[in-house]
Amino acid sequence: MSSTTEIQGFSTESGSRRADRVRLFAQPVAVVVIVGLVLVWAFTRSNDSIEAESIQAGVLLDKTWEHVLITLVVAAIVVGIGVPLGMVLTRSWARPVAPLFIAIANIGQAAPALGVLVLFFLWTEWDGLWAAALPIAFYSLLPVLRNTIVGIQSVDPALVDAGKGIGMSSSGVLFRIEVPLAVPLILAGLRTSLVLAVGTATLAFFVNGGGLGELVDTGYKLNRVSVLVVGAVLAVGLALLVDWVGALLEEYLGPKGLT
Amino acid sequence: MNLLDYVADRWDRLSLQAWLHVSEVVQSTLIAAVIGVLIGVAVYRSPIGSAVATALASTILTIPSFALLGLLIPVFGLGALPTVIALVLYALLPITRNTIVGLAGVDPAVTDAAKGIGMSRTAVLTRVELRLAWPAILAGMRVSTQMLMGIAVIAAYAKGPGLGSEVFSGLTRAGSANATNQALAGTLGVVILALLLEGVYFLIARFTISRGIRG
Repeated sequence: MSSTTEIQGFSTESGSRRADRVRLFAQPVAVVVIVGLVLVWAFTRSNDSIEAESIQAGVLLDKTWEHVLITLVVAAIVVGIGVPLGMVLTRSWARPVAPLFIAIANIGQAAPALGVLVLFFLWTEWDGLWAAALPIAFYSLLPVLRNTIVGIQSVDPALVDAGKGIGMSSSGVLFRIEVPLAVPLILAGLRTSLVLAVGTATLAFFVNGGGLGELVDTGYKLNRVSVLVVGAVLAVGLALLVDWVGALLEEYLGPKGLT
Repeated sequence: MNLLDYVADRWDRLSLQAWLHVSEVVQSTLIAAVIGVLIGVAVYRSPIGSAVATALASTILTIPSFALLGLLIPVFGLGALPTVIALVLYALLPITRNTIVGLAGVDPAVTDAAKGIGMSRTAVLTRVELRLAWPAILAGMRVSTQMLMGIAVIAAYAKGPGLGSEVFSGLTRAGSANATNQALAGTLGVVILALLLEGVYFLIARFTISRGIRG
């Protein structure tokens, strides 16, 4: 039997436990080394006045923080909506409408992220953090929602029966049997959502939401490769770190009895 | 002007961009399929090789597409080249991974039987293993294509071809007449094309997966 499974949707999981373990150690090391080298290069070369305006600790920290903030807000929205919605949709009385919500979430993810972001901006005329966070959350909701539903549905019915048999209420069955058993899948979905969120957050600057994409854009528009490279490398490093945090969560928050 | 009038009015330009969008995505998927299957064939017998290949490919997929595109611009300039390179890189993971999974999942009894009737190593690979792994490889290509449809929109930033340029000019012309129609036409166009391609994959699967293993 192979330890890998077929990929059926967007997911950065390599699917093999060995590859996951390699990444768990190699990823943070690679991030620190690459980001460190690029920062040393950027700060020690002779920057002209335009470059110096972007390549300074304060600006880089600001942009990184904006990026992290968008990602955190999106993660909070995704967990806050995806998990409860998934739990509700698996109740027997909600089964008929479940496909509808899945279809909406599917469309949300099939639509190009940039298109969703731009349309939300054009329709609401908002800008800033929320103009970026809300459409990105809509775009990255599906993995958590789908995995919550699939995780709960794949719980062995015998366990649910056993829970009822010893006199548990239906909410007792949900919170003490079904949800704990679905946690590994929910965490896997959360990791995918986080990666989508941190990646899409590089586009937030298009709607004045800031983030590291802004450095890439500044470097490109003003023809300063150094600014572009610093922005892009920081964005890559941040994405790899977020993915790594997702992997850690999967590794350590999952119920011990299941793996 | 409502959306339908807008689309009818600009049909020439929109249909050309839709065609370019599909064509760059399909070509990138095909290039990635050739590379991905070759990588898969090269490493699937070695557990360490498989782990390294999938770890690398999944790391690439973690990289934000806008950042990768930004890094490619200084090296390859603007236009189709950086776009295709970025798209091929993103398409590699699902295809490579599914090739490895598909090949590793072939029943050893079947390959033994093929060797037993005197097939060479290449014949076993091309006439038995790859054909049994084909449904998995095709599924990987389908996932890649769907992903690339969205990423190709972002690639319009590097002046790549396709419907992304509609979204971008809708954004830069925000507030002026038809800006929303333009962005909407680009976005909906991508969704519709993605659904059409989904249908094409369904047909390809119907006609190319050998009858014996069709589910």
